[in-house]
Amino acid sequence: MKTFLKELIDIKNWKKKTKITGIVVLGLFALCVILALMKPSEADMKAQASEEMQELLKKDETGTRKRVTVTYNSLIIINYCSFSSSGANALSEKYVGFAGHIFRADEGAGKFTGQMVNYTYRMLGSGENILHGAKLTLFLTTLSMVIGVAFGTVLALGKISKNKVISKICSSYIFFFRGTPLMIQLFVVYYTLPAVFGFAWRDLFSAGDEQAVYKGAFIAALIAYGLNSGAYCAEIVRAAIQSIEKGQHEAAKALGLSYGQTMKLIILPQSVRRMVPPVCNEFVMMLKDASLVFAISLMDITTISKNIMTSEISYNVFLPALVIYLVITAFFTWIFDAIEKKFSLYE
Amino acid sequence: MAQSEYILETEHVSKNYGDLVVLKDINLKVKKGEVICIIGPSGAGKSTYLRSLNQLEKITSGKIFIKGDLFLHRENDHTVERIDKATQKALLLEMGMCFQRFNLFPHKTVLQNIMLAPIEVKHEDRETVKAEALELLKKVGLADKADAFPNHLSGGQQQRVAIARALAMKPEIMLFDEPTSALDPELVGDVLQVMKDLANEGMTMLVVTHEMGFAKEVADRVLFMADGIVAEEGTPEHIFEHPENPRTKSFLKSVLNA
Repeated sequence: MKTFLKELIDIKNWKKKTKITGIVVLGLFALCVILALMKPSEADMKAQASEEMQELLKKDETGTRKRVTVTYNSLIIINYCSFSSSGANALSEKYVGFAGHIFRADEGAGKFTGQMVNYTYRMLGSGENILHGAKLTLFLTTLSMVIGVAFGTVLALGKISKNKVISKICSSYIFFFRGTPLMIQLFVVYYTLPAVFGFAWRDLFSAGDEQAVYKGAFIAALIAYGLNSGAYCAEIVRAAIQSIEKGQHEAAKALGLSYGQTMKLIILPQSVRRMVPPVCNEFVMMLKDASLVFAISLMDITTISKNIMTSEISYNVFLPALVIYLVITAFFTWIFDAIEKKFSLYE
Repeated sequence: MAQSEYILETEHVSKNYGDLVVLKDINLKVKKGEVICIIGPSGAGKSTYLRSLNQLEKITSGKIFIKGDLFLHRENDHTVERIDKATQKALLLEMGMCFQRFNLFPHKTVLQNIMLAPIEVKHEDRETVKAEALELLKKVGLADKADAFPNHLSGGQQQRVAIARALAMKPEIMLFDEPTSALDPELVGDVLQVMKDLANEGMTMLVVTHEMGFAKEVADRVLFMADGIVAEEGTPEHIFEHPENPRTKSFLKSVLNA
């Protein structure tokens, strides 16, 4: 880590490619900052409403029944505001604010832009807690992969263990979790386990917590995904361990290292590099499998996009969904590449 | 510790895979400081014999004594005399080994390779171990490579690091399993020189080798193995100048005239 920081500070000796990347990243960042600063404020956006709408809004302030729904979404450099009234003479006004200007967004390109901002905002789970939208997808995937890799390593060591009982147990576990659909595993954890053992997932949280049911479902999902990815990661870890040449075991044994020491100090550290590409692959698969949580009423990117499609009959919704997935995948591929590079220093 | 004039003895060491006989009744007594070279055609069981000494191969039957103490006694593929684990490990550590393919730990630097076992196995003080490791590196002529990774070194350099790594455990016996077979010809000399120096310092060595020149010059005794048995043994002079066994004669003829 220290050397990494040193290299980072030592700008003069950066590779040309790193320098260019640095300049591009800094440039984009600066552009974002400028655009963010130029973005019209929330008050400005809300002041855009037409006179009729303003009157309705004023009535709403005093009345008990709200007639106008105001939506305000802000995404760093761009924002979106819509007013829609209900009733016989329903009015609808939409505005997009970008780079110091406010545009009408009721039709054409403006409408499309407005939709994109609104959909992206909702799919990212903005304004909600960490268990919504892209945040849920990311959180669930990352956590279950961490559990999966740790648990998978244990399973892999168990599977290659000379103890036949342990080995059989681990093999059976892997066989079961790779041989059954993730969705059914999710159902079993979410519905069957509480029914059999007489508890409810929401009981994990205090009775006063409005989100208890939702959080409980998340815990169930995390357990199901962790157990499932453990089985897949076990095979990855096992393959990586067994790909280390026999000579490494022999050299360690000849030096008097125990089996545990050999694994911990010699074999596992070398396996890490070989695990990274398949674990990255597993991660990306998991990212997309995370959409199965719609089945237990959790709101991830896919679920939200489908809800938007059915409620607004808008097919543009899948475009931001795809982009969000791609951005997440690109980011994690980059991280995994960096890890792989770090561990292949010695080659 | 039992008293014995031999540092290493094997009695009736045999090994077979099913019907295939790999080693047949090998008896050897090695005195402290002796250098023994084992030569022979491939498939003769030379490496298997050497590797069975430090239990990298399981023998079918036979006894192995280290410094007069029983290290291993097996009959019919079963250990018949259980030896206390701590004793056995202590005896195992009396043997250092160098492999044909070096088997350095690629993810650790040269210095870390050498320091690993003394710290992890013998729980020695890190600073002392480091000083000794640097000393050993100087001895094998690689003092400037302490922080390099093994894969960035040449084969000859890697093998010298491997020797240093084995020596760091302060063994009394060094086992060399074809240490120069995987090296480019121009790199062999440096490794052999290190081994010669070691022999001159009085290290007991068992060397499986195809380097006849080295065997002639350095060995106190040469074993010629063929088909799992020691077909002939004697001084280098005896083996190389006046071999008696026809197998030895034909082997030497083919090797030396190649």
